[in-house]
Amino acid sequence: MKILKSIYKLIFFISVIFLSTAAISSENQLNDYYKTIRCLVCDGQSIQESDTEFAINLKEQIKKKYDNGITLKEINKELVSIYGEKISFTPSKNHIFLWMCPVIILIIFIFFIRRKYKYR
Amino acid sequence: MKKTLIFPLSGLIILGVCAFFFLDPSQEKEKVELSLPEVLFETSGFYDQEILNDKELDDFFIVNFFASWCKPCLAEHPLLMELHANGVKIVGINFRDDEDNFVEWINKHGNPFFHIIRDDGTIAYEMGLIGVPETYFINNLRVVKKIQGPLFYEDIEEYL
Repeated sequence: MKILKSIYKLIFFISVIFLSTAAISSENQLNDYYKTIRCLVCDGQSIQESDTEFAINLKEQIKKKYDNGITLKEINKELVSIYGEKISFTPSKNHIFLWMCPVIILIIFIFFIRRKYKYR
Repeated sequence: MKKTLIFPLSGLIILGVCAFFFLDPSQEKEKVELSLPEVLFETSGFYDQEILNDKELDDFFIVNFFASWCKPCLAEHPLLMELHANGVKIVGINFRDDEDNFVEWINKHGNPFFHIIRDDGTIAYEMGLIGVPETYFINNLRVVKKIQGPLFYEDIEEYL
């Protein structure tokens, strides 16, 4: 009987811990997402740090959509379609060539210089 | 000499191929398409409970975001009154405002709006609002002009 009681207690505690961590993690996920959204009225700040009416409203709307079960990916897509790509701090993959360009050029240069030194 | 040229040349070719595949010229021209969200037409008004869909709108009308806490809104208010006097239909959207303050503000300064919607931020989000005041000039349900910040006489001259 005593063992059964303690097992129940254990299950209760585990479920409480599990639920609370789940709540915290969803909150953290949202907070992390806010950090990737640029506040358009305050240069260089994300909406997570900003207290302008624009940022507060955006956070509310995003939270409302998130609580309704829309994934962050879909929310991000919608935000970009409304405000343009400048709203996001994380650039889309369309610019991967732009980001890789210096690396490619550097590799070509290294190749060129190495060959030059080999022949000396 | 020819051998040394092979690598930079091949590099250039690779760059060219990459550019061809990854740089989409249509991407650069892409601008944010401003469209009117459905919420705007389906939210009931403050003074009459009708929705905008049931009301008779002209081809050309103006959507203006305002709030009683916003000082620049007061600055552009006489211009809105003038537009109203000239028969332009203005849809006013009261952005995140206290109801009492808003009613007091309207009673004090006059009502240039053809239809007023009180918004908790949903319509503003859907329309891509950045801050109040903001004005959208709409022709045939398409945004032809968007002005952030207060209106000036030059902005509305052609519609008077």
